[in-house]
Amino acid sequence: MWAALLMLLAVVQGLLVMLTVSFESSRAQDEAEAVALEVAGETKRQVTRGIQDLQPLTWPAITPLEWDVRAEQLLQSRRELLRLERRGPGGAISSLAESRYGPPLFTRLRRSDVEPEIDTACSLARRAAAPAFTRSYYVPFEGGTGVEVMDLCVPLLSEGRMTGFLVATWSLPQLLESALGAAPAGRHELSLVESDGSRLARAGTRRGVGVYVAERIVDLPARSLVLRADSSAGRPSLIPNLAVALVLGLSVALTVLALLLARDFRRRAQAEAALAEALAFRKAMEDSLSTGLRARDLDGRITYVNPAFCAMVGFPAEALLGTAVPPYWPAERVQEYTQRQAARLAPRAADEPASSPTRAGREGFETLFVRRDGERIPVMIYEAPLVDGNGVQTGWMSAVLDVTDQRRVEELSRQQQERLQASARLATVGEMASLLSHELNQPLAAIASYASASLNMLEQPDAHTPGLLREAMQRVGEQAERAGRVIRSVHDFVRRRDQHQEPVGCGALLDAVLPLVRLQARKSGARIELDLPEAVPAVRCDRTMVEQVLLNLARNGIQAMETATPLAQRVLRLGVRQRHARWVEFSVTDAGGGIGPEVAERLFTPFFSTRAEGMGLGLSLCRTVVEQHGGALEFESPVHAEHAPGSCPGTRFRFTLPTA
Amino acid sequence: MTLLDPSLGLPTVYIVDDEDVVRDALAWLLRSRRLLSEGFASAEAFEAAAEQRAEARAGDWPNAPACVLLDVRMPGMSGLALFERLIERGWLESLPVIFLTGHGDVPTAVAAVKRGAFDFVEKPFSNNALVDRVEQALLASAQALTQRRQHHDVAQRLADLTERERDVMQLVVTGRPNKLIADELNISVRTVEVHRARIFEKMGVKSAVELSNCLRSAGQEPV
Repeated sequence: MWAALLMLLAVVQGLLVMLTVSFESSRAQDEAEAVALEVAGETKRQVTRGIQDLQPLTWPAITPLEWDVRAEQLLQSRRELLRLERRGPGGAISSLAESRYGPPLFTRLRRSDVEPEIDTACSLARRAAAPAFTRSYYVPFEGGTGVEVMDLCVPLLSEGRMTGFLVATWSLPQLLESALGAAPAGRHELSLVESDGSRLARAGTRRGVGVYVAERIVDLPARSLVLRADSSAGRPSLIPNLAVALVLGLSVALTVLALLLARDFRRRAQAEAALAEALAFRKAMEDSLSTGLRARDLDGRITYVNPAFCAMVGFPAEALLGTAVPPYWPAERVQEYTQRQAARLAPRAADEPASSPTRAGREGFETLFVRRDGERIPVMIYEAPLVDGNGVQTGWMSAVLDVTDQRRVEELSRQQQERLQASARLATVGEMASLLSHELNQPLAAIASYASASLNMLEQPDAHTPGLLREAMQRVGEQAERAGRVIRSVHDFVRRRDQHQEPVGCGALLDAVLPLVRLQARKSGARIELDLPEAVPAVRCDRTMVEQVLLNLARNGIQAMETATPLAQRVLRLGVRQRHARWVEFSVTDAGGGIGPEVAERLFTPFFSTRAEGMGLGLSLCRTVVEQHGGALEFESPVHAEHAPGSCPGTRFRFTLPTA
Repeated sequence: MTLLDPSLGLPTVYIVDDEDVVRDALAWLLRSRRLLSEGFASAEAFEAAAEQRAEARAGDWPNAPACVLLDVRMPGMSGLALFERLIERGWLESLPVIFLTGHGDVPTAVAAVKRGAFDFVEKPFSNNALVDRVEQALLASAQALTQRRQHHDVAQRLADLTERERDVMQLVVTGRPNKLIADELNISVRTVEVHRARIFEKMGVKSAVELSNCLRSAGQEPV
């Protein structure tokens, strides 16, 4: 395409130059023609005037002296006339005058040599009774120069009779000069040529180049010459000509421009292709990322989200862009999130090292988003400042990771761990129960069998019966004793646990259970609030057992809020108070549905549970543990005597432990 | 116990339980109902004893009504494993098994009953109800034993018959008269009568109908 365009351009340029040149040439040719025409006309006029001037000399009555004087005058006024002769009818010269402006004519060439020419012309003139020119001939001078001349023969008539001839010699160069004096030839070389092409005389300031040549025939009496005008302007050369130069220069400039433009265009196209490729690459990268990307400006409004992020929260990009309070924030936490965002987006203090947000971003923080379908997803956010090309921070860029699966795994492992702990805890209860049932089952079954046997024997007594009965009763006694030993060993086992009591800080007790409680709370969307005054003394307790009590009560509380309580109200409060110099009270308060009177009655009964999967041992075990420490476990529901009708009554469990 | 034929021998209850107290208490209980019992502390011990006795009597064991009270859980070979051995041996019919189970083993015991165990009793058991079941088991054992004896007896009598007598017998049980039998076997009617009398004598029957019943009950269908 580019080649075609350049070719077209070249053709146009060529045509332009050609047109210019041909215009130039035709102008030069026209000029030459005009000059030739004018000079030819003038030459003719000069000759005619010259012939008129010769008239006085042809008068028959003129005296020889008078003829001489007039001839002399004429030769002075007309330089083209070189010599005047007056001849008789036979051709003999009677009078003669020669111009003083040039060297004498017939020195090297004798006059007699050209007599035949003059005779021819004179006979022609006599027959026509009008002047006639001879052919031109060359008269050489001394010194190598010479002049081309023509003789004019004018018949002298007197009363219709031929009396003689007047012969005038014309210098052709002078004739041309005088014609030029009247008609300026400009930049042309003018010459008189014979019809055979040989040049006779030339005039003009410049030399013709032979390119623009115009010829005109000059009709002279009985003879004609050709006047040729030859322009000094040669074949129009390109550069010196301004118009052509201009056109050429412009074309060259245009061509260069076109080339430059083409090169620029090609570079631009390459750059664009590279840019498009880079853009496509970036887009593909963003689209294929499983990490959500989100950009926010300094006001916290979202300026960009990638498809992974949209997929994560379930909203289309249009619904997110420009929002300062995005729809994926949980409704009850908007205020909290807004404050958090304000704190994070605030321009950092001057003394703070510049790297700190980056480090914070690397570490990331965890938060909760709500999908469009209402599902809550835990996410990990890594935030870094967004800096434009000028080094000015324009916002924040966040990488958002959906950690639902990770949490699920954590939750699973937590549940497993809890189950493990529960079974370990139940090992005490369950093992004891299993041990008891097995160990007691055997002796009791045996006793029952001996008793039945004894009764059977008494139905049909014989001589052996009393002895057998005695034996049977002995065995009953043995088995009863065995059962008693089993019971005692269980009692010993329970007593052994008392020795594990030690002083423990209340904070340490809470710290030990908090991770597990928080995990459970996160699963149910509940929040944990702590109420732990600094000045609470340490308590004396079996640490493991009391931790189990706290864990048990906290889990009960969280589970109580899972069904009826609105998400925003799900708060579990763990509190510690010193009630008395010797007693510290722990409390676990939930905002659940509370405990009805019929449930309250049986709350601490073993194997009573309101949950399908519950063993019903939790609370009774808790009470046993607390009472073993000398404390008491109580509860109140509703928490406040007069709770608002719409809200959940909630339950508070309290137990006391002795100070260390 | 009146239902039990004294000719079958003294009924015995085998108690297989790893707990001494249980074995002892059960023995007392059974004794108070006039039942003999024998205790084994493990499944292996019982299996060994049974093998030995069966060998001594050339496979004819148990030779008296018996049943097994079998604890499901025991150290070493379990009650269920032993039960499988008894099935393999073909002893189960004449040696019914009552499982003694703890509270966790009920599904296992139910499965065992489906495989042919006589019953299962959950510990702690109601004592005299257990003895009632034991007696029923012994009764079943006695019946099985009686049947087995009959089979054995018929098979032995059949073995005493000569070839000719067996041919005649096969025609006799079809109910044909002597004349037809004589024609068929190409012998005299007199000879048939002698054979018939000897057959009745050897088989301990008085009529052709009785002979047919005897053969059928012993599983020896006339050809």
